[in-house]
Amino acid sequence: MTGRIRKREQDPDITRRSRLLLYVAFGAFALLLGRLYWLQVVESDRYRNLAENNRLRLRTVRAPRGLILDRKGRAIAETQGSFDLVCSPVDVKDLEAEVGLLAEIVEFDVDDNEVLDKIRSAKRSNPYSGITVARDLRFEQVSVIEFNRENLPGFSVLVEAKRSYPYGTTFAHVLGYVGEASPEEMDRSEDGSLAMGDLIGKYGLERLMDNVLRGVNGGRKVEVDAAGRDQRLVEEVPSRAGGAVHTSLDADLQVTAQEALGNRAGAVIALAPRTGEVLAFYSGPAFDPNAFARGIRKADWRVLNTDPRKPMQNKGLQGTYAPGSTIKPFLAMTALEEKMQEKGKTVLCPGSYRLGNRVFRCWREKGHGAVDMYRAIVQSCDVYFYTLGLKLGPDRVAKLEKDAGLGTITGIDLPGERKGLVPDTEWKRTVSKDRWYDYESVILGIGQGAVHLTPLEMTVGYAALATGGEVMRPRVVSKAIGKDGKVRELAPEMLRKLPWNPENVEFVRKALAGVVNDYGTGGGAKLPGIVVGGKTGTAQVASVKGKMIKSEDLPYEIRDHAWFVAFAPVDDPQIVVAAMVEHGGHGGSAAAPIVKAVMQEFFRTRFVGPQRKGGA
Amino acid sequence: MDWPLLLNALALCAIGLLNVYSGTRVHGVPGTALVTRQLVWILLGVGAFFAVYLLSDGFIEETANGFFLAMLLLLVVVLLAGKVRGGAQRWIAIGAFNFQPSEFAKIAVTLALARYFSSKYRYGGIGLKEFLPAIGLVLAPFLLVALQPDLGSAGVFLFILAGMAVVACLRWKVLAFFAAAGAAAVPVLWFFMKEYQRQRVLTFMNPELDPLGAGYHVIQSKIAVGSGGIIGKGYLQGTQGSLRFLPEQHTDFAFAVFSEEWGFLGSLLLLVLFLLLVYRLFFLTVRSQDRFASFACGGIAVFFLTHIVINLAMVCGLFPVVGIPLPFLSYGGSSMLTGMMALGAAANLSRSRFTFQGGGGKGRGISS
Repeated sequence: MTGRIRKREQDPDITRRSRLLLYVAFGAFALLLGRLYWLQVVESDRYRNLAENNRLRLRTVRAPRGLILDRKGRAIAETQGSFDLVCSPVDVKDLEAEVGLLAEIVEFDVDDNEVLDKIRSAKRSNPYSGITVARDLRFEQVSVIEFNRENLPGFSVLVEAKRSYPYGTTFAHVLGYVGEASPEEMDRSEDGSLAMGDLIGKYGLERLMDNVLRGVNGGRKVEVDAAGRDQRLVEEVPSRAGGAVHTSLDADLQVTAQEALGNRAGAVIALAPRTGEVLAFYSGPAFDPNAFARGIRKADWRVLNTDPRKPMQNKGLQGTYAPGSTIKPFLAMTALEEKMQEKGKTVLCPGSYRLGNRVFRCWREKGHGAVDMYRAIVQSCDVYFYTLGLKLGPDRVAKLEKDAGLGTITGIDLPGERKGLVPDTEWKRTVSKDRWYDYESVILGIGQGAVHLTPLEMTVGYAALATGGEVMRPRVVSKAIGKDGKVRELAPEMLRKLPWNPENVEFVRKALAGVVNDYGTGGGAKLPGIVVGGKTGTAQVASVKGKMIKSEDLPYEIRDHAWFVAFAPVDDPQIVVAAMVEHGGHGGSAAAPIVKAVMQEFFRTRFVGPQRKGGA
Repeated sequence: MDWPLLLNALALCAIGLLNVYSGTRVHGVPGTALVTRQLVWILLGVGAFFAVYLLSDGFIEETANGFFLAMLLLLVVVLLAGKVRGGAQRWIAIGAFNFQPSEFAKIAVTLALARYFSSKYRYGGIGLKEFLPAIGLVLAPFLLVALQPDLGSAGVFLFILAGMAVVACLRWKVLAFFAAAGAAAVPVLWFFMKEYQRQRVLTFMNPELDPLGAGYHVIQSKIAVGSGGIIGKGYLQGTQGSLRFLPEQHTDFAFAVFSEEWGFLGSLLLLVLFLLLVYRLFFLTVRSQDRFASFACGGIAVFFLTHIVINLAMVCGLFPVVGIPLPFLSYGGSSMLTGMMALGAAANLSRSRFTFQGGGGKGRGISS
């Protein structure tokens, strides 16, 4: 070029100056080229990643949680589809405005401010994640949201799996509930399989069997546009559904137990004594686990936790109560096993018993007259058992009771079990400097004083009486089918076989049958055609001085706890039922009908007799 | 007829057309509407090229001042009655088309300056006295455009003035003085900026300050360019544009779409084409024996150089975001017509040398 230019007659200054500008152009282009080389060659990988992050979103496909079934295969916890509002924090443009708009359409799981905080914190920690902010939307809500799509970048409605409990409150304490995994739980999960927003079992079987029930999340890699809208599916890893848990519970029996207890506080437990299978386990008042599956609101949670009747407590295995007269068969059993008192020996009951200057009343003011062991159990004579308690002393009684499962952890496969207390002299030494007094042995005879037990312990103890000394571990889960399809059968587990004399067992069982069928205190549990054996209990909460006052006339908080524990048929016990009504009054009138209702339901579908034993 | 100039421009137009198609398509939906319009603009642009090219000799020089005044008038009209879009008043609507007078004003300024400088030119270079009126000439359109506000386009006037002052042999001393004064004026400029303009400059310094706000353009643009790699993602395979992460992906950020899909090699090809265009214009500058033609071609070369370099630097994150289109690649009628008219003028003026041959210019006009 320079050659040609020189030939022309242009002013050499202009030529020189133009060439200078051309060099400037060369320089600028070289700079641009260098920059492009830097961006497109040197730093290319970094920008490629950024572009992929722009374009691709990993959407978690939550695995449906597995079923929990009753013994007849009916689902008592299942998973259903639900329209959920999910937020992808990175795509949100104006958080406050969008949340404000959504607040007019839907009810958030938590307060509006908490929603904002949750999304803000996720935006910092994991902006590409999906956060569920509202669950179970109605169709109208979904359509309003879709209609306002343009104003809600970053929010979308997805069909998500929702935990559902078709029986509502009925199985509350057994099943427990699920909730979103907390950050600590996510840290603790061994394989890091828990993602934000995943549901995990927080209580009951849901917690205990979480490993079986929780599936493995899948994922969808989708391409999104700048507004965060899905454009196409790039890759999909299907989720794996959780496994199933089969229980020994019988939904019909459970419903009956709940209905029989009604609005009263207490617990009803039904057990198959030979196997330890829990057939029904109800604690009232209950909560609705469905409310937790949606993410319970703070206000509702506060109500549940401040209710004086403690709906969140499983009274069957966490509440301990004085057993009252239901303890008496164990004293009788101790006397017989230790050969301390013949069953034929009579004791005169004048209506009260005097020890030193203390007077202990029998529940029957005018007394029972002369009673032997059978009569004493049938009539629940207190005086007889005052003397027996004194005679046996605490240590012998405690040993037999603990062997039978009272005051011990029964080992049921439900979380949170507490143990009651069966006092003996050693216990007394550890808790106080005082020695064991005789009057303590006296009231121990009627299940008062330091002794307090959970309804579950009582059920297990009576199962031991029913089977003649077989102490089974009570269990709810009978079979677990893992996500991998592996079936784990849980065989009955015998904790110990007590070397009780069958004759003695036979006698106690007969006496308990008498309680129900021989004009005893438990007549309220009598069933036509089936011999039920059981024992009432009316456990004093507070001692009332002076005249005997009917429990019904006392204020609720100091009314007696009502117990009834029974098994049937007496010849070949197939079921043990315990009912405990907090401040329910008399065992015979308040608790026995509950046991009767449950047994009636149990035997409704079963033939009992020499021709066919057992049933479905 | 200057075929290299026209063919070079047409090659760029063809690339631009393909690129507009890719840039305006929404994922899965072909973006034909704007492509058709761009094709119309290209045809109109070619028409404009020839219309200007075929103007009789001397016509451009004679009408340069009138054209300049007419454009000044239009800029006033824009300020008073223009359409507001994106916070600035830049457009005049004619029928279905929006027309951006500031683009055409760039040509008008170039030609008017060329005429002024050619009248003042003297051997040994012009001094401050001759240069001050030239500043006044540029100041009027500069202020009118800056008021829209369109600081980017206004700045182009200054670049044209500076470039032409170099070509027209303003004395080095004066040039150095104004360069120093210009550098000193930059902080002063800050106080005259609107808030959004300051934001742009600030985020240019550090885009991560506001990745979803003012820094968004730069970040997404760099991602588009960088992710293209050496060979690119392939035509229509870019994601930054079609998924709408890029702003203005078919106008000011057209190069981001292009380089994402064609990579470093494609960018290199494009740079070569642009460099050839600028080279050709400088070639015409020195080849023209008529001073007006020479200065006009130099001004047009600077006009293209400024647009190309600033636009590409902006897309690569080397320059703050300003509304300066990439010639022939950015979608838009005003820019297309301006570019074609400018090339037409360059072709016309460089053709004119034959008629002036023998007619005698100033000094040593007759060829040997």
